[in-house]
Amino acid sequence: MRSLWKSFASVKLAIFLIILLVLASVLGTLIPQGRSAEEYAARYGDLAGLFVRLQLTNLYRSPWFLTLLFLFAVNLSVCTVTRLGPKLRRAFGPGTGTDAGSVAAMKVRGRLRMAGPTGAAAARVAQELGSRRYAVRAAGGDDGTVLLARKRRLGWLGSDAVHLGLLVILAGGIVSGLAGRRSHLALVEGQTADVPHAGFRVRLDRFETELYPQGGVKAWKSTVSVLEDGEPVRTEIVKVNRPLIHRGFHFYQSSYGWDWENPKLEIAVGTKGEPASARSVFLRTGERVPVDGPGITHLSALRFVPDFVLGEGNRVQSRSREPRNPAVLVEAWRGEERVYTGWVFAKFPDFGDGHGDGRAALSFVLKDLQAGQYSVLEAAKDPGAGLIWVGCLFVTAGVFLAFYWTPREIRAVLAPGAGGTEATLGGFAAKGRDAFRSEFEAVCESLRRAP
Amino acid sequence: MTESTLFTAAFALYVLSTFVYFAALFARRVKWAGKGLAVAGAGLVFHTAALVVRTVTSGHAPFTNMYESLSFFAWATVLAFAAIDRKFRLPKIGPYVMLIVVALVALASSPLMPKDVTPLVPALQSYWLWLHVSVTLVGEAFFAVAFVASILYLAADSEEKKEKYDSVSYRAVAVGFPLFTLGGLVFGMIWAFRAWGRYWSWDPKEVWSLITWFVFALYLHTRIVMGWKGKRSAVIAIIGFLAALFTYFGVNYLLSSLHSYR
Repeated sequence: MRSLWKSFASVKLAIFLIILLVLASVLGTLIPQGRSAEEYAARYGDLAGLFVRLQLTNLYRSPWFLTLLFLFAVNLSVCTVTRLGPKLRRAFGPGTGTDAGSVAAMKVRGRLRMAGPTGAAAARVAQELGSRRYAVRAAGGDDGTVLLARKRRLGWLGSDAVHLGLLVILAGGIVSGLAGRRSHLALVEGQTADVPHAGFRVRLDRFETELYPQGGVKAWKSTVSVLEDGEPVRTEIVKVNRPLIHRGFHFYQSSYGWDWENPKLEIAVGTKGEPASARSVFLRTGERVPVDGPGITHLSALRFVPDFVLGEGNRVQSRSREPRNPAVLVEAWRGEERVYTGWVFAKFPDFGDGHGDGRAALSFVLKDLQAGQYSVLEAAKDPGAGLIWVGCLFVTAGVFLAFYWTPREIRAVLAPGAGGTEATLGGFAAKGRDAFRSEFEAVCESLRRAP
Repeated sequence: MTESTLFTAAFALYVLSTFVYFAALFARRVKWAGKGLAVAGAGLVFHTAALVVRTVTSGHAPFTNMYESLSFFAWATVLAFAAIDRKFRLPKIGPYVMLIVVALVALASSPLMPKDVTPLVPALQSYWLWLHVSVTLVGEAFFAVAFVASILYLAADSEEKKEKYDSVSYRAVAVGFPLFTLGGLVFGMIWAFRAWGRYWSWDPKEVWSLITWFVFALYLHTRIVMGWKGKRSAVIAIIGFLAALFTYFGVNYLLSSLHSYR
């Protein structure tokens, strides 16, 4: 047990683990994560299976990577705890044991002669150091002739704050992973949806896409109402970078799209070769509407696709959700007799290779289509996030303390000497030794000149 | 003056500064190095003006595509170098840092980088753009200075020089590391949480920032706890800066990321 503790207290282990984490992380960016089996097979051929078995395709959530992180966390904790005690003593302890020998061992030293008895000299030294924001205390000898002066003492704990912060962040990550809830809500205007695990509902009142004059999207704006027991309790505009937050749930503008299930269509029906005869018919898919048309009485729209393409076995498919090649399957009726069935395109008027008696005589064009847009909101509850921010605060405070607030220490031993007091000063700074040396010399100089 | 005039003027002055610096180096005239710094300072003034004009005309932070961020990174590198130089007065670092600056500015001016002012996509419309990118790039600018000092360390012939370069490299890392931690990781996480709904998604840009952070953490631990100095430290600092560069360029052009703003 003791040796286990010892090995986890080793900085060498930390360095080894960090190198492993770095190598694993690099690997995870070289192999795209979380793709489909087909994509890996196409990309890596025979190696794909091996990669999947070694969990290199979902590396950051794989048991072995998490084990590595766990070992790192244990190492970090043990290292921090074992070093914390001595550092706390160094920063805040009484400094007993400070004596002439310990001062003589310090790298920065000064020796000077002061007038008056040691008590008065000690008071002058304390005052000088106090005016430079050192916290001065009598240490070692009971007669107060040994002084210990320290400043920027929190700097001792900078690296510990970073380590603690990292542990809190890792804990936050665990909480997020275990207790986080996420769902995507695709809503058309006016639609209400249950938020899973939330106990309240949200309604999309309005969704708009704002464009820049020169093109490009300026903003996606969803006006969202929160409904509790059916009653709206708040309404806010959700944009990218501006989520709505309600009872621990964040609602993000995540995506959008067109609702192609039920678009409003305008189809021009006429006689072939006579554009003047065309008249517009407005309908939705699944509808059958009467037409005062050339030789037909009704028109129905059976099916709509936004991006028409013929797939395997000549099956009609939509290649994408974008309206790149919109097409509608129509049926024209004369009374109870179906005279035409065929696909009508927006981009290829009169392409119609449909069938039926009307084929030779009728002309159809898909003139316009209007689909409602739906907005996709991501509803997320992340109970780990709070810990993450606390951890970040510790890490940030820690790095700045460690590098911008480096502790300094000056010890003084005062002993009666010829014509007054003999003072020996020793100084220590963890970093920034040049700046410290000049401060130290200024202290000595000022004490020498003092009456 | 227009942004491109100011930018070109800055470019010209940086090139001139590099020449002066190298002339000082090869002619062994230490005094000329001071002139090199002065010319670089003049370039920095024009460069600052160019960035301000860009910000005013575009209405957004001057680092939303590769051209802008390269320009800003070059600017920050001159600034970081000036800060370190004030402290250490090492005439030999100047020419090589300016060489990097000139390379960055040249890359920014190349026809590969579109310079049009484009309106901000929704994801970038946030004040976190200012905080996240500027603090990160200033941090990385100090890594660039550490990189140059580390290379000079490896090339130096006398112990005295080596010790100075080693110390400059460490000081630059010590300034850059907290900035990179705050700007790159902490601000990045906060912004990701606001814009994308998750503070960490193991996106390649995020992972490479973490890798960079880990490499510099190694630099600091091997140095402070294990007492490594000199050659091994220099090599780690060089790897660290290369990781930062890869985070910056490599991820945008070589890996697929949610975070590739070219």
